[in-house]
Amino acid sequence: MAVGASSRPEVTSQTDVDIKTQLRKHPRVGETLIETFLFVCGAVSILTTIGIVFVLAKESLLFFTSGGVSLTEFFTGTVWQPAIGKFGIWALMNATFMVTTIAMVVALPLGLAVAIYLSEYASLRVRSILKPVLEVLAGIPTVVYGYFALTLMTPVLREIFGDDVVQIYNTAAAGIVVGILILPLVSSMAEDALSAVPDSLRQAAFGLGATKLETATRIVLPAATSGIAAAFIVAISRAIGETMIVAIAAGAGPNFTFNPFNAAETMTGHIVRISGGDLSYDSIDYNSIFAIGLVLFCITLVLNIISRYVVAHFREEYE
Amino acid sequence: MSQETQPSDIGQYPEGDNLKHFIENRKRGGLVWRVSFQIATILAILALIALLYNIINGAFGYVAIQNKVDPNSLVLAMEENQMLSSSGTVSSEDDNELVDGIEGNPNAIGFFGYAYYNDNRDKLKAISVDGQAPSRETAESGDYPLARPLFIYSAADIMQENPAIGAFVDYYLTNVNSVIEDVGYFPISDDLLNEATTAWSAAAGEQADALQAYTANPAEVSDHDISISGSSTVYPLTRQLAIQFRRAGFQGGLDLQQTGTTAGFRAFCEDMTTGISNASRPINRAEIEACESNKRTPVEFRVGTDALAVVVSSENTFLENVTKDELRQIFTSAETWSEVNPDWPNEPIERFIPGADSGTLDFFAETVFDRQLEALTEPELIEILKANLSTGLLRRFDAEAPLVERSQPELVDLVLERVVEQQVVQSWELTESIFDRAEIEETVAAIPQGELQWRSWLTPAFLVTPQSSTPELAGIRTALFGTLWVIAITILVALPVGVGAAIYLEEYAIMVANPTLRRINAIIQTNINNLAGVPSIIYGILGLAIFVRAIEPITSGMLFGVSDPTTANGRTIISASLTLALLILPLIIINAQEAIRAVPNSLRQAGMGLGATRWQTIWSHVLPSAIPGILTGNILAMSRAIGETAPLVVIGASTFITVDPTGPFSKFTVLPIQIYQWTSRPQAEFRNIAAAAIIVLLILLLTLNASAVLLRNRYSRRLS
Repeated sequence: MAVGASSRPEVTSQTDVDIKTQLRKHPRVGETLIETFLFVCGAVSILTTIGIVFVLAKESLLFFTSGGVSLTEFFTGTVWQPAIGKFGIWALMNATFMVTTIAMVVALPLGLAVAIYLSEYASLRVRSILKPVLEVLAGIPTVVYGYFALTLMTPVLREIFGDDVVQIYNTAAAGIVVGILILPLVSSMAEDALSAVPDSLRQAAFGLGATKLETATRIVLPAATSGIAAAFIVAISRAIGETMIVAIAAGAGPNFTFNPFNAAETMTGHIVRISGGDLSYDSIDYNSIFAIGLVLFCITLVLNIISRYVVAHFREEYE
Repeated sequence: MSQETQPSDIGQYPEGDNLKHFIENRKRGGLVWRVSFQIATILAILALIALLYNIINGAFGYVAIQNKVDPNSLVLAMEENQMLSSSGTVSSEDDNELVDGIEGNPNAIGFFGYAYYNDNRDKLKAISVDGQAPSRETAESGDYPLARPLFIYSAADIMQENPAIGAFVDYYLTNVNSVIEDVGYFPISDDLLNEATTAWSAAAGEQADALQAYTANPAEVSDHDISISGSSTVYPLTRQLAIQFRRAGFQGGLDLQQTGTTAGFRAFCEDMTTGISNASRPINRAEIEACESNKRTPVEFRVGTDALAVVVSSENTFLENVTKDELRQIFTSAETWSEVNPDWPNEPIERFIPGADSGTLDFFAETVFDRQLEALTEPELIEILKANLSTGLLRRFDAEAPLVERSQPELVDLVLERVVEQQVVQSWELTESIFDRAEIEETVAAIPQGELQWRSWLTPAFLVTPQSSTPELAGIRTALFGTLWVIAITILVALPVGVGAAIYLEEYAIMVANPTLRRINAIIQTNINNLAGVPSIIYGILGLAIFVRAIEPITSGMLFGVSDPTTANGRTIISASLTLALLILPLIIINAQEAIRAVPNSLRQAGMGLGATRWQTIWSHVLPSAIPGILTGNILAMSRAIGETAPLVVIGASTFITVDPTGPFSKFTVLPIQIYQWTSRPQAEFRNIAAAAIIVLLILLLTLNASAVLLRNRYSRRLS
């Protein structure tokens, strides 16, 4: 007993020391290395952004300083003809906005209607069929939509309005198809916003004698406004940045026109056409795509920031 | 009390019938909107259906094929060559030599025009073919296999406008039977001749009498010219009659050519350069249509029958009847009689046939062999290739894959591609092919040597052949390899970095105490969300400036000495992969973050509670649970990368390469780029192969997405 008592403290003190040294905070090289590596992974995204901004800014600066193109000329001109030194972004921007407007005219009402139908009317079975269909639509590569625009939409438009009115390449066909492309985006984002509105609101409306439509349009829709607005803005940004459809179907030459049946090249379409194949560095063409890219980047970035701001600040909180 | 103070409000509430109307209006409004919502949804589905329909529509349908060389003539030439070159064959343009050779030799066999046999009946014996003995009757009825009818064609308006032609046709019909046996053909029966004369009278109409007067005195129509072309078989007969017509007094121009029946009809119907066409076969429907589209209605006149006699010496006792198949063996491969038929003597066959330039040999080969290119054997196909291709080209094909080891269908394809040179001259979409069949057939009939063929542009060969500037020979092999390489490297780069970033943001960033670092972490998170919204083409511009240009020594492989010698620039697979990796990084991070967030905290606490370090907890507990979610997100990001086109166009994917990529530093093309290139071409055939390539792309993406859904369904149960 005594022996045991005398021996036990010894053992305990030894173990105590072991445990203490083990538990003492000490640098774990492996853990730190891993954490650093993971941080670097996260930082890659920052580097990407910095890279984008740096590259666009640097090359654009070159474009404006060496090419003899002034900023005012760039932002006010309506003629884009590198051969004669004319670089007016509006020739391209105008086409981009035309395509975007047409796309919005198609996608917003349709997308919103689909969203309301899916979230407020459709039965579970219908939803289980429709949602995958929309997902498939969203998953189809844009080059396929481009083929669709050129080989189906354009002939259909030409059939309706006449061959002499509608050119083979036109912003209308491209715009409509871009609208179809972003329709699933609009509908799924808007539906998310509508579904997020708590059921208690609907039940209250029904309890007061509102019809389904009245509930949907006067109660649920206003409650989901911020989400829907965000969806619209993201959709616009997506339409502006859309490339392959316009590259294939909208036209291959800058053209300042407001006629949707005429060919006109958008900003993205121009970049693709100019860079397609071989582009020699330090040519004015090479530099010009960075200037266009910068404008494009700024527009979409601002739209994305606005959409996030809208969601964050105008969100109606329930519960 | 309050009701009384707000009378205006009370007044707005309808009562009685008004209430009913009010409610009905509300219901109706609700219905109208409900229907319009449904219509919108249906429109969205219709868009998808239209999209898919349009692709299927482009990938299948009729094509008009035109052969540079008629495959039948190739077969014929090959077979004639076989006949002429078999051992024990004597060929001569002089029929007397043939008769001398066969005469008195019981093992000899030969063939020539029936008329010639008729002159030598005492020395020779004609044998039956397929049980039909050659005679005027069996030849005329077509029962005797080696007989064919002879025609001339003209048209009513030609004969009426050009009395010389009208008179010559009449002269022809009147006198043909007196000269035909001299030329070597069978005269036709009186019935048939009467039919022809009736046809002539009907065509001549009111002018019949006047024309017949000219027939008696051709000199009167000498101010008109006669132009004839067509069959070389009918040619000697027509020539004989033309000479007589001239002797009778005709002074006008008389142009007589032998071009072959088909070319004769073309001149007659399409070019309208001749007034009479000689033919050794009846006119076909396409040719009639071609004539009628030029307001010409061809009138047919049967003028005689051509028949070949297969003859043996009158001393030959064993041969009375042969089948066509026996004939083929006798005149080609067989060396002794017993080889063909065991009942026949074991003696060598001695063959006597007309020379290569004679129409008789052509006719014999055409009738007896009657084989399609597709039915030939491998050695025969190789023989055709050898006869028609340069030795250099042959050596190349032989080096690619020895000809003798190739399968029959492969050889047929090679012959079609290189010798026949089949070309698609026009193509139709699926719906057109189904609904406008008649119109398409008409168009094809107008194409010389045109042939209508059903074609699926999506074939196994399409997947494994490299690109070509001829749409019907082009494939997506290079593009498929390009896509595989690019995507593999993209995932290899993006997956670890993306998951790493997600782990950092979810597991470490929250614990950070340092305010500056916290700030940075918040910025990283916002930044990722913003990057997800940047248009893909901007990434292309970034890739062009950084990967293609700034670090060209690395991305071209020059730094490692492994650059592709043909290009040696930065537009390589590695540049494309890095660009796409940056593009899908935000997607992977956001998805992985969600998957990690879904792992219950209790797991981490349990791990930590047992003394595991943070990384040990993550590696052994968090990640295994989050893997299905991470993989699902990764697959979705992958399918996004596969479909991306714009950034790769900007960094400079090759538009036309036929060499498979061999590594990260090869130049490349990918499926979407191919589709873009082909869609942008104006020719319809390129649209067709674009549609076929789209189907491949969509199947690839659907498979990927389906596997993502399966993965999600399979593991989501276990997680919850």
